[in-house]
Amino acid sequence: MVVSKMNKDAQMRAAINQKLIETGERERLKELLRAKLIECGWKDQLKAHCKEEVIKEKGLEHVTVDDLVAEITPKGRALVPDSVKKELLQRIRTFLAQHASL
Amino acid sequence: MKMEEMSLSGLDNSKLEAIAQEIYADLVEDSCLGFCFEVHRAVKCGYFFLDDTDPDSMKDFEIVDQPGLDIFGQVFNQWKSKECVCPNCSRSIAASRFAPHLEKCLGMGRNSSRIANRRIANSNSMNKSESDQEDNDDINDNDWSYGSEKKDWELKVTLPFILLSYTAKKRKSDKLWYLPFQNPNSPRRSKSLKHKNGELSNSDPFKYNSSTGISYETLGPEELRSLLTTLMFLFQQCGVISEHTKKMCTRSLRCPQHTDEQRRAVRIYFLGPSAVLPEVESSLDNDSFDMTDSQALISRLQWDGSSDLSPSDSGSSKTSENQGWGLGTNSSESRKTKKKKSHLSLVGTASGLGSNKKKKPKPPAPPTPSIYDDIN
Repeated sequence: MVVSKMNKDAQMRAAINQKLIETGERERLKELLRAKLIECGWKDQLKAHCKEEVIKEKGLEHVTVDDLVAEITPKGRALVPDSVKKELLQRIRTFLAQHASL
Repeated sequence: MKMEEMSLSGLDNSKLEAIAQEIYADLVEDSCLGFCFEVHRAVKCGYFFLDDTDPDSMKDFEIVDQPGLDIFGQVFNQWKSKECVCPNCSRSIAASRFAPHLEKCLGMGRNSSRIANRRIANSNSMNKSESDQEDNDDINDNDWSYGSEKKDWELKVTLPFILLSYTAKKRKSDKLWYLPFQNPNSPRRSKSLKHKNGELSNSDPFKYNSSTGISYETLGPEELRSLLTTLMFLFQQCGVISEHTKKMCTRSLRCPQHTDEQRRAVRIYFLGPSAVLPEVESSLDNDSFDMTDSQALISRLQWDGSSDLSPSDSGSSKTSENQGWGLGTNSSESRKTKKKKSHLSLVGTASGLGSNKKKKPKPPAPPTPSIYDDIN
């Protein structure tokens, strides 16, 4: 039963994701998040951090995508300001509430 | 996967919240990844460090925040009180007035050449006791200072060519117009010509010459200009003079506000009793017609006193009479008045020209038969 419940959950998540994409809400949320992050300076902070990392550790020539991702993503997640996070979560909850019965 | 089975209402809020958090985490990760790709591309393409500046320049261009200064550190009214020395006249001029002063001082701006031209024209007119009306700005804008003699020459030389261009490159809706050559015996010899802006000038624009018709040399510059504008009007535009503004209507020949009668009346008023309304409808094969007509016009404009018509005027019988009345209309207009011999002879040239060409499909406006009774 647990397995089926988990399957159901997974299925439900998939359904929700599908709904998100179909209605275009996912794109809107992404654009909103990007704009807010630029506004609040998150991008510049991360860029400064990048510069230090790039200069310090690997040298300019040997930067790879994987390295960058491994270093930047946790920092990026941490640097998101609370206000942005709250607003985004609010919107997601609204969306879920709207499509609850579907 | 049916949606009914997956109703979210069956879930508790914590699950919903978990799902929301997941979605949020996905979005943030997308953004971070996007940022990583941008940085990596910038590093590889070499523009990653492009917006950096060294600390020295950073200090130089720091934002200034003092009272009385703007953020660049400049004082607000600094240039108002400064004075410059003009290199031409060696006077000390206020900075804000320097540019206009220099323009006038060196004589290189538009205004200064205008003033100079006006002065020259005024001094010329005082000698010749001519009135000088500066209603044609286009000539003055040329920055020449050759004086008014040049303008006269220009007008007299270009006038025939302008008329030729009107006849040669005809729009299909235009009829051909010849210059009105006045009959020396006609009672209406001196006309008053209205300017575009409604002023009256009582000069005689069509100084007739019994052999050649209009002689350009005796026309003054103002008369030439007014003649030109009037002709340009009446070739292509309605031309009916409005009661309120005393101006000529500038709409097309098919202007619905005015009737053909009004247009004809205006043309008679300006051009003498020989004036005929230009035809609005046109035949499809006007081109060949136009070329021979323009040749006729060219020959008419010969100033040697002969009024030879082009060889295509084979149909005209009374060429001597055409000397005085050079108005031609399209042949289809003459169709209606074929009964009147006078009309035939008058437009003999035109009908001669047009008889070989195809006629117009639609009947034109009825011409005024009384016009040509004078010949008889």
